[in-house]
Formats: sequence, C-alpha cells, structure tokens
Amino acid sequence: MERKIGVYICECGPNISEKIDIDKVIDAISPYEDVSVVEKFKLLCSADGKKFLEEQIKKNKLTHLVVAACSPKEHEKTFMEVCENAELNPYLFQLANIREQCAWITEDKNEATKKAIRLIKAAIGRVRYHSSLEKIEIDSIPDVLVIGGGIAGIEASLQLARPDRKVYLVEKTSSLGGLVKNFEKTFLGMKPVSDIVNEKIHEIEKNENIKVFTDSEVEEAIGFFGNFEVNIKRTNEETEPVELSVGAVILATGATLFNPEKNPEYGYGKFDNVLTSLDFEKMNLTGKILLKDGTTPKSVSIIHCVGRKDKEYCSEICCMYSLKFIRYLKDKLPNISVQNFYSDLVIPGKTDQKFYEETKEKNVDFIRSSNISVAKKGNQLNINYTDENNNKKSLLTDMIILSPALEPTNDASKIAEITGVSRDDEGFFAEEHEKLNPISTSTEGIYIVGCAKGPKNISDTIVQAEAASGKILSSLIPGRKLEPEVKTSYISESFCIGCKTCLSVCSYGAIIFDEAKKVSVVNEVICRGCGNCVAACPSGAATIKHFKFNQLYQELREAVK
Amino acid sequence: MKEKNKDVLVIGAGIAGIEASLMLSKADRKVHLIEKTSYTGGTTIKFEEVFSNMECSTCMVAPRQQELLQDKNINLITLGNVEEVKGSVGDFTVKIHKKARYVDMNNCIGCNACFEPCPVSLKNEFEEGLSERKAIYVPCAGALPNVPMIDTDNCLRFKGKKCTACQEACMFEAIDYNQKDEKLDLKIGAIVVATGFSLIDTENLSNYSYGKIDNVYTSMEFERLYASNGPTDGKIVLKDGKSPKNVAIIHCVGRDKKGYCSSVCCMYSLKFNHYLKSKIPDIDIKEFYTDLCIPGKSHQKFYEKMKETKVDLIRFSEIEVAKQGKDTVVKYSKNGGKKNVLPFDMIILAPAIEPKSDSSKLANTLGITTDEYGFFKEENPYVSSVLSSKPGVFIVGCAQGAKNIQDSVSQANAAVGKILSLT
Repeated sequence: MERKIGVYICECGPNISEKIDIDKVIDAISPYEDVSVVEKFKLLCSADGKKFLEEQIKKNKLTHLVVAACSPKEHEKTFMEVCENAELNPYLFQLANIREQCAWITEDKNEATKKAIRLIKAAIGRVRYHSSLEKIEIDSIPDVLVIGGGIAGIEASLQLARPDRKVYLVEKTSSLGGLVKNFEKTFLGMKPVSDIVNEKIHEIEKNENIKVFTDSEVEEAIGFFGNFEVNIKRTNEETEPVELSVGAVILATGATLFNPEKNPEYGYGKFDNVLTSLDFEKMNLTGKILLKDGTTPKSVSIIHCVGRKDKEYCSEICCMYSLKFIRYLKDKLPNISVQNFYSDLVIPGKTDQKFYEETKEKNVDFIRSSNISVAKKGNQLNINYTDENNNKKSLLTDMIILSPALEPTNDASKIAEITGVSRDDEGFFAEEHEKLNPISTSTEGIYIVGCAKGPKNISDTIVQAEAASGKILSSLIPGRKLEPEVKTSYISESFCIGCKTCLSVCSYGAIIFDEAKKVSVVNEVICRGCGNCVAACPSGAATIKHFKFNQLYQELREAVK
Repeated sequence: MKEKNKDVLVIGAGIAGIEASLMLSKADRKVHLIEKTSYTGGTTIKFEEVFSNMECSTCMVAPRQQELLQDKNINLITLGNVEEVKGSVGDFTVKIHKKARYVDMNNCIGCNACFEPCPVSLKNEFEEGLSERKAIYVPCAGALPNVPMIDTDNCLRFKGKKCTACQEACMFEAIDYNQKDEKLDLKIGAIVVATGFSLIDTENLSNYSYGKIDNVYTSMEFERLYASNGPTDGKIVLKDGKSPKNVAIIHCVGRDKKGYCSSVCCMYSLKFNHYLKSKIPDIDIKEFYTDLCIPGKSHQKFYEKMKETKVDLIRFSEIEVAKQGKDTVVKYSKNGGKKNVLPFDMIILAPAIEPKSDSSKLANTLGITTDEYGFFKEENPYVSSVLSSKPGVFIVGCAQGAKNIQDSVSQANAAVGKILSLT
C-alpha cells in the first residue's frame, strides 16, 4: 500500500513560531519519503485547528498523521480523537513534542529549528511502521465472589447484591460473623457488637441475591476481570465442587493473632491465667471474668505489643482494644486494679484520644516499659520489666492479658496462590498501589479488604468493604462490555525458548506457559502493556504492540542521524 | 414517584474528590466537581514525596488530574463556592457562585507570558508565603488546569488603574477583563464532601515562638522548601541562605489543645528526616516526640530504615522553643524532670490537622452535623464513616478527620460505592 503521511506543525501562537523557524522546518521535511503534505497552523488544538486537521486527513486521503506540537500529555488524546472523526485509525498517528522538549528549552533559534527537524523526522520514521490497532470488546459477568464471611465480607455482599448482580459469599467456618462475633462491645462508643453483626447476618440470610456457602473453601479461581471461573468445595463433606462464573472477587479473609507461645517470656501456655486478647474477649462475652480456680481476679495486667518485635509492624488496634478491656473490667469488677504495660500509645484519629482520656480517669496505671517477662510467684504472676527511666522493676498480678500482633491467616498463602494475588513482606495481600489503589491488587478484578490486607479496626474495615463495592459498581456494570488494553504484548511461538523469564516479571499474571508447546503465551485480555516481558525476554520473542522494536529503532535512527 | 437524579456534586478537587469523580464518571455518572481554588490536586500536590515508598507526589497525582480535565462526564468548576443546598437525596438543588477567572480557559494555552509584565508582586499563598507571585498567576509550576487567574483584590486594573499589561502580553486573546462571576443552579442526586484540612495556627501556640524567631517552620512550609517546584527549587536553606547543620523536628504541636492525635505527623516527620539527609548528608537531626504513632503494616519498616540514618528520637512531655543569646534553642523535659537545652539552626513543627476554617459554614449550608472538633460528623462509624447525618451527603478524606492519602482514597471509593448502590 502506498503511504501518504501528512505532517502538521502547530505554531502554538508565539510559543513555537518565535523559537523555531517553521518555514525552514517545512522545507526540510517536505522532500522526505512518503510525506505527501506538510502544513503549519496557528493553533491545532483549537476548534478551528481540529476541523482543519480532520478535513486535511480526508482531502489528502492520508494513511498516517504526524502532528508536531506540544507534549503528548496535553493533546495526544485530542489528536487521536481527530483521527477517529476522520476515519483514520488513531494508532496511525504520532505526536512530535517540539514545544516542551524543544521550543521552550532551547535558547538558540537555529539550534531549536534543527532539533525540531530531527524530532519530526523521528516521528515520521516511526509512524511509517505503525499498524492499525482495533479495540476489542468482551462480555462480562456482573456477579461477585466474596471470600470470607466476617464483617468485611458481610458488608461488601450487602452492598453489592441486587437483582442483576448475584453475590456468592464463601466462609470456611460454619457461621458468618468472623472475629468480631467474639466481642461484646466495640471500642468506639462501647456499642454492643451483636447489634451491629446479627442484624446484618439476618439481612444476608433473607437477601435472595446472596448465596452463602459456609464450611466451604474456594479451590480454584481462574480467569480475568469480568470472567473468572471459580470452584467452591465444602470442607466437611465429600461433594462435588460447585462451579460458578463471576466477574470480580473480593478477598476478605481477615487476620489471626500471633501465637504468644513463640515468645516464651510471656508465660502463655505455661502459666494459668495468662490469656490472649481473644481468650479474654471470649471470657468476657460469657459475662464472667474469673481466674482458673474460679475466683475473681483482684488485679489484671494488660501487656501491649506482644510479638511486635517478631512481626516488625504495629498492629494498629491493640492500644485501643486494650483500653476497651479496661472498660470491660471496670464495668464488671469496679474495684479491680488494672495496669497497662505499653511502649508507645497509638491512638490516631479524632475519637481515640478522648476514649483514652476517659479510660485513664478510671484509676488505671499506664506503665511505659520494655524487657517484659512473666514468672509464677505463689498463686500470682510476677511481671518483671524495665521502666521508662531504665530501672528494673516488678509487679504482682492475678491475671495477664496479652495483646498479640495481628498476622495473616494460615490460608492466606493458599488463597494468594489460587487467585494470583501477590503478598507483601508481612504476608498480607498486597495493594496495587499503596496510596492510589489501596483496595485493588495487581490482578484486575480482585480486591482486598479488611485485615486480610493489614491490621485495621472495624470502622476502617467497613470503609474498605464499601470501597471494593464502589470499585466493582463503577467498573463492572451489568450489560456493559469491557474494553481491554489495546497496546498489549505478544510472544512469538517460534522465537520463544521456553525459559519462563517473562512469567516471573509479569505483575498481572497475564502470561501462561503452554506445557505442550513449551512456550509462553500472553493472555491479551489481562495484559496491560507494561512492557516488562519485552525488556526481560532474552530471545527477543516478546513484542509490545505500538512499541515494536522496528518502530523504536526507526524513530531513534532518524533522531540521531 | 419522580425519577431520582443520578448526577453527583463533589465538593473539593483534592486527592479524595478527584478519585470520587473519576470513579463516578467511569460508571457513566455526570459529575460536577467544584473547587474553591483555581487548581486541582489539593494539598497532596504540595508534597515532593510521600511516605513510605518516597514516591514523587506530583508525578503520582498528575495523571489523574490530567484524566480529570479530559473527562467528558466531569464538569470541573474552579473558583466555585456552594451557596445553598435544598432538597433531599435523589433530588438536591444547589446554588453555586463561580468567581470569574478573567482568563479564558479555552483560549489560554498555559504559556505563562502574562506573568512577567504584571507590575504587582504578592506573597504566594500556595508557597506558604515563602515566594512571590503576580496578580495574574498560577500557584506553582505544573498546576492543573494550567490556566492563570487574576487576583482581583490586588490587580491594579480592578483597583481602578488603567493597567492592561497582561492582556497586551497574551497572544491568544485569553485575558478577558469583562468576565463576570456566575451563579449556577445544579440539580443533583448526591453530594460528596471532600474539602480537606488545615493546620492549626502555630502562631497562637506561644511556646513554639513561631513567627517570632527566624527559621522556625511549619511542616507545610518545609514541604515547599524541599519541593523541586517550590520557592528555593528544592534547596533547604536558612533565612540567611546558608544550609542548616542541625535541625529539630517537633511532633504533636497543638495536640494538647485539639485533644486528638493527627495520625499522619509521626510518619511525615520521619519522611522529613529522609528529605534532610538526602540533601544534606551530614546534617544532625533530632525528632522530639511523645508517642510514636506508626500504625499499619508498612510504616514501622520505614521507621527502622530512618533509624539507620542515625536520627535521634527524644521523648518529651514539656517543650519550648526560645532564643538564648544568639542561639535558637529547644528546651525540653520529660514528666516534670530535668530541663535540657539544645541549640538548632532550623526547627520544623508538625502542627495538628484541623478542619478548614469555613467547614462549619459549609456544614450549615449542607445541613450536616460536625463533631466537637469541627470535622464533619459520621452518623455512625459502625454503619459507615462516610455517611453524614443527612442521607445523600457523603463525607470523605481529612474533612471527616485526620488521615493519610491511602485512607482518604479508600473513603472516596467507599462513598462512590454508597452512591452507586443507592439505586
């Protein structure tokens, strides 16, 4: 096919025309191979300019377009739209940045003009090898799989379920409610937890758009955003797995407590009356706070930050629930003496400090301490510690409550493997971007919420569940087709040597290995065109559309020639 | 029954407001994004880097700002103010006052040729007053939309003089002195309030001598001192142009007065440690803190890394900044104990985060409640922290309470979730 490349130079008012001799540029560019027209215009991004370009493309029957103007960040999209309006494939266009990268930074007009010529020649060199790329559309399934029936999973399910969107809620234990159903009250406002959770569980039960699978686990989840095939298996009976198709997956698998037996100095599992926070929540929920021998404790010590050294992070909620424990204790046993052994008080946000100050008034000791160890002394427990001023001290108490670090659940690694979601150094599910995409993962369509992605309180967990619903509701709309990335990579079957390097660098799980042919294959629907595989491939088998080797080579060649 | 209006008003074009708007647009909702200033990006674009991966903040936000400007479902109203809100969820009527920019958004190409000839020089608020701007200006290089505005309180022409310097310099006929303020009536179904925060006025906290002694900076001033597009092009310098040899960073400034912990100061103070060490490797830094608040899975790791750079962390319970002879000193003690005194070249204060000064007025206009600290109040944090006391009005980001970028974005996502599940 004969190429007819049109080159249009924007004067950008005085911005380009004063710094670059545009007529000289036109003279230099015009004789160039395949260039059928070179024109200048005073402002191509204006309404007049866009109309002019559109007419030029049609009139001159252009096959390729080069615009020399500003940064692609400003107007690449604008000119791609012009191409579409003129029925020219928008990928047969190249923008040469002769403003930000030339006119604005090059003092000498002669130099700037020479540079502009090079930049435009490079764009011509490149665009000559561009090919049309077509958008593809795929059908999507609006239904959602939620893994984990704690407060996060419950909240997300309720917000997502409606007649045109089914939710499948999978819980590995026999009932919904997760960790929080062990709590009597929440620390914010000391509200009964049962009020919050039971009502929601009831709502789930009567919602016909939510199907709950208890005593069940997800065995398999393969596919991509809009189309995942999942297998759910009951754990307590021999039945065939249930096969479902969903468009998105929410991981709300929660967290578990660090086992304090790993730090024997706290005496957990060795001495009676040393409890974890969860043990104590459960005891408190029975309404009776008692020692092993059935008597009522006269003193209780709460030790914060158990396992923090091992885990190397602050578990965020322990200071606050330790304060809540004081309330439990003082409510039920008003004369009890309570000590808190802590390192730093972490009570961020607008409500927590007030709760702390109100709790402090209840005659409680806060002891900033380190090097804690617990020993048995008669019927009591003896806590040895180093105080703030580096003095070694000890204190006798009847009961000890440990506040252990939160850590990922045992099955987090299995779930990560099944879903292809990556985990961070701490073993929690990793965010796509810590700041801007805190709910998304590198696998599009799989979202992470609640303690499964790091320690957090109930309120923040609910926000994240709602956030994941927001992500799904805004992107997975019943009846709407999905448009995957166009500039994807592909791997040549004949060049691939089967080394699997690309599999290790793909962040999106877009590459699979064909064991029969011993070659890597890109799933273009999942690929986001980052180019990692192309850079890493040792045999030159991986190529990315629109950034092909020859396109880049020709561009560079013209730029440096 | 009347069909519910599905359009959404988002108030505030900071990181939370941008996030909510883009998501809503993706779901084909029409969004009116109203912003009080002339630019988008809010406070986040004032930071050079963000903790804990030290990513360039403007580079992180700019693609979203750009996307916002090109999004056809989003009607960005800059220099706008919400004057009246009537109705209820699904059927709100909102009156907006849009101040004239006096620069045509369509004609202006952002070449900045109009600044230089302007004869007026003023302190630049965006730069915390550390540099000057003209009466026609953009707040900083790279502001989006990259279109200047005329500050009519200070422009000579608007004070009755015959100056047309900027208009003469503009080659695109973009300067239009005849633009008028506009009154807009919008009909919308839901409102997202994302108006952000301020820092407590440190001048009223006398023990820190802010404003009285040179080289005592607030955290926001220091952010701009380090910013590569800031008043010193990123050079950390003292008032006399020399670089500091030792710096004190004081945490919890104003915490006693506010009665809450502002959540983010420990982390950004540790970030400052990195800022300082990267520009002045030999610098001596002391961080004065009360309790180290670094919750969550990734923050302690950042702290450990900072500790390796030999920063001194000193716990205090009483602290004062004063002049002792020629020296600026920090006097501190712990639990009423012995008072220590240390001299410093530069002192950086980490002041408490508080609601914007006009937030109670906005709460009244919207018909929502505020808490005892003046932040917009969630109806019930165990139902959802983004629900205000009024159905259809959602509160996100620091306007609801002090929080970091990640949690602000999560709340924006959550508010959108709530809105899209309304129908």
